Amino acid sequence: MNDLIVIGSGLAGLTAAYSAVKAGLSVKIIAKGMGITHWHAGTIDVLGYAAKGKGVARPLEASGDLPDEHPYQLLDEKGLATALTEFAALTAEMGLPYTGAQTAGDNLWLPSPVGAARPAFLAPAGQAGGDLSTGQPLLIVGIEGMRDFYPKLIAENLAKQGHSARHAFLPLSLFTQRHDITTLQLAKLVEEPARLSPLADALIRIVQPGERIGLPAVLGFENHPAVLARLTEATHAPVFEIPTLPPSVPGIRLHTRLRRRLEAMGVRVEIGMEAISFGAEGERILWVETETSSRPLRHRAANFLLATGGILGGGIHSDHTGRAWEVVFDLPLTIPQERSGWFRPHFLDGGGQPVFRGGVPVNANFQPIRPEGGPVYANLWAAGGGLSGADSIRERSVEGIALSTGGAVASLLASNPVK
Amino acid sequence: MHTSSISTEILVIGGGATGTGVAWDAALRGFRTILVEKRDLTHGTTGRYHGLLHSGGRYVVKDPHSAVECIAENRILRRTHTHCIEDTGGFFVVTPEDEGDYPDRFVAACRETGVPCQEISVAEALRREPMLNPRISRVFEVPDGAADSFLATHATAQAARQAGARILIYHEVVGLLTEGGDGDKRVTGAVVRDTVSGESIHIHADLVINASGAWAGQLAGMAGVGVKIIPGKGVMVATNHRLVNSVINRCKMPSDGDILVPVHTVSIIGTTDEEVTDPENLVITAEEVQYMLAEGDKLVPGLSAARIVRAWAGVRPLYQEGFSGDSRDATRSLTLLDHKARDGVQGFLTITGGKWTTFRMMAEKTVDRACEHLGVERTCTTATTPVPGIEQGHYWLGHRLHEVEEEQLQGGLVCECELVTRQMVESAARRNPTVTLDDLRRDVRLGMGPCQGGFCTYRAVGILHEIGRERHDPDFVLEGESDAEDWEVAYLQSPAESSRGHSITEHATPDAIPDTPLPTRSPAIDQRSPVSNPNLLLRDFLQERWKGVLPVLWGRQLKQERLDELIYLSLMNADHLPDDEAQSPLTGFYRAS
Repeated sequence: MNDLIVIGSGLAGLTAAYSAVKAGLSVKIIAKGMGITHWHAGTIDVLGYAAKGKGVARPLEASGDLPDEHPYQLLDEKGLATALTEFAALTAEMGLPYTGAQTAGDNLWLPSPVGAARPAFLAPAGQAGGDLSTGQPLLIVGIEGMRDFYPKLIAENLAKQGHSARHAFLPLSLFTQRHDITTLQLAKLVEEPARLSPLADALIRIVQPGERIGLPAVLGFENHPAVLARLTEATHAPVFEIPTLPPSVPGIRLHTRLRRRLEAMGVRVEIGMEAISFGAEGERILWVETETSSRPLRHRAANFLLATGGILGGGIHSDHTGRAWEVVFDLPLTIPQERSGWFRPHFLDGGGQPVFRGGVPVNANFQPIRPEGGPVYANLWAAGGGLSGADSIRERSVEGIALSTGGAVASLLASNPVK
Repeated sequence: MHTSSISTEILVIGGGATGTGVAWDAALRGFRTILVEKRDLTHGTTGRYHGLLHSGGRYVVKDPHSAVECIAENRILRRTHTHCIEDTGGFFVVTPEDEGDYPDRFVAACRETGVPCQEISVAEALRREPMLNPRISRVFEVPDGAADSFLATHATAQAARQAGARILIYHEVVGLLTEGGDGDKRVTGAVVRDTVSGESIHIHADLVINASGAWAGQLAGMAGVGVKIIPGKGVMVATNHRLVNSVINRCKMPSDGDILVPVHTVSIIGTTDEEVTDPENLVITAEEVQYMLAEGDKLVPGLSAARIVRAWAGVRPLYQEGFSGDSRDATRSLTLLDHKARDGVQGFLTITGGKWTTFRMMAEKTVDRACEHLGVERTCTTATTPVPGIEQGHYWLGHRLHEVEEEQLQGGLVCECELVTRQMVESAARRNPTVTLDDLRRDVRLGMGPCQGGFCTYRAVGILHEIGRERHDPDFVLEGESDAEDWEVAYLQSPAESSRGHSITEHATPDAIPDTPLPTRSPAIDQRSPVSNPNLLLRDFLQERWKGVLPVLWGRQLKQERLDELIYLSLMNADHLPDDEAQSPLTGFYRAS
């Protein structure tokens, strides 16, 4: 029997499992799918905008701007910083190093796919090179016929914000004779040396001295660091990536490496297993049952970590009557049980949509709690996007919440194991 | 602001089905004609209806006069607007809740009104429509159809232009020009504001025709004439795919939520009828949606569990002299108000009431009366004059997929839900007066599928921005409106024709400025136009899409919406773009809530 079963294979689930294994626990991961890492930028967003859309320069010092019920308020004083430091160390070990701003503790401001400056705390080295805090001129390079990246738009919006930016297109024929190509196919093609050299040559012809080159985030999967190094070396210019519409190549790189790392440590990561029911005795969960193509399986463990995400991740579902529920344990939620209270009239309302602020309420030990207080189960924990108290997409804290809350549960379990 | 002045014989106000129909008819009869519409064509009720081409069956018992009009026009439109219509056929079904002798009265009334109606066995109906409620007891087949009211109106407008009419969209009437006083008043034209440039135009006309639908009362008020429109709000809800391939009607007195229409890739359940005070800012409540779904379940069990992609409301411009009662009971017949006879105001007609199906007939009667006013005799030819594009034949579900596969256009898809290619977007923007992305939606169905613009909004903004003409482009000349040939909408919806007709922009060299011999007439790609600001196009369309999903967000569609937030907020930071505070001339349309 495992010490811990993690339900969910997003960033919260994978990194919590990693910390728990490192602390000596035996862990298994079961998940329906792969979480939202595949859709996002592949950066670690900790906090970009606090209440009422106020921009945050130094996210680790912004807890005063957050409401009391925010998951960050449940962490130890150093909890968030520790989780980020450990994550950065892990990525360096995995050969996909993440870095922060030049001034430690500041947010990076990275060019978005529309040319806005998006706040992130850590980014893969390839994206961090786009930090707009430095004034180096930018050459944004797109590829003809690529649907998910518009360099002219990016460059023009960057220029409107006072950055020196211009754009250029490269022909798709540099990579393929086909007329259509996806970001994932491009990322695979770029890894082939025969394609990489023409790309480097084309960039050399258009880059001007002193510029840095921004390309869509398609610079390889496995060999990404080598591709990046090769292009930088050939062009004598810093080369960086800008994320594209999903699916996200940087997100897939991160997920793949984390998963491989866990498997190398002996953790079974079972994806394609949806938790459909559970068994409990008194205050303890005994098992979780998953559905597979063959037959239901019961997974027993001493502890269970719910890291299934929120409405986007699939951990919370809803119906037309205004009912919203947590899909595995039917835990109490803070979402209003009335659809009329879920939304505001404007999509871009700085206050966000109330429905997305709700989730699973937990105590200081990250145990899901009942409305009247006490934990629902003694051996159930929750982390990541399903937690109540934050609209993580609105405030740009998706990965920060995942890493820090997952890390908090792992360290609680390590220091005080329930067997 | 600069004010110019032009004159014409007939000025038509309103760019819905009726107004464009009037402009088409008037131009074909040789009148110099101008049509003004305050937003995009079909922005009003025409673009917000369920898409039913009536056989007349719905009205045979309650409003037989309307039924007769419907079946006559149904036959004509199949010839004149062939490609805008899908020949779905329709069923009237008797569910266990529909008691009484209505079915027998229905059959008799069909016979009297000449609406073809044949009873078929329940087994046959279920064979053709397997999702239909198996507990139905009787089924009658009628020649209902599904209409694309966006395309049909564009095609009618193009036909009008080919016949010499001028169509001015985003031109709002701010006042009517009048002469004389009580008892001897005459409407001589209108003051019109170009909502994109802000300029005013005085349009002098021998005759002004008010075809502004739900706004007809407000407009008539500008001439001091009282016209009380009964604005009947109808709510419609679209499912994410087709549940049926035939129009399904409940065989009972017309009521709420009793029609299911297959239109393009979706099924639309309609509709409610509630009298409202304001034709804009229509609120759709959770209860209305809930009720429609519950009624829909009676036709197709399980409909309420289907994924709902959107809800919207339109306002029927109903009119009945001296009517007071429920708007459901107001007549669906057309109303032509001759303000000379009725109010002593010359040079002014109002055409209202009716249905999409009867728009051509409404136009015919209106222009007949116009001839009388202008003292000429000219015969209507619209019933025998097809609009451009009918050689494509009736629309059929799958035609886009077929073309995309045949021509291998997969690489150009910018909207996977509705199979819209880059070439279609470019072609629509270049050969059509696109102002907002919402106009493109009506042109090519951009963003109308399950993801409701999640992926295509960004792509369309990027493409419009790429093909936008630079300010310093020496070849740039703002086109006049006189040359009718360049406005081409006959193949607006055809991926294959768009790909053949127009080469995509080449970006062979860095910093290439796209150059094309085609005239740039869309403000959306004219960089001198403030509406071409890509950040405003993006923001306005995101809000427009949000407005329509708001009443139906739960389950998978809520998850989809959260993905759109991840993309536009977290990934793109679209809520912190430059020009965040800037107002587009159209922002108010979307900011109003």
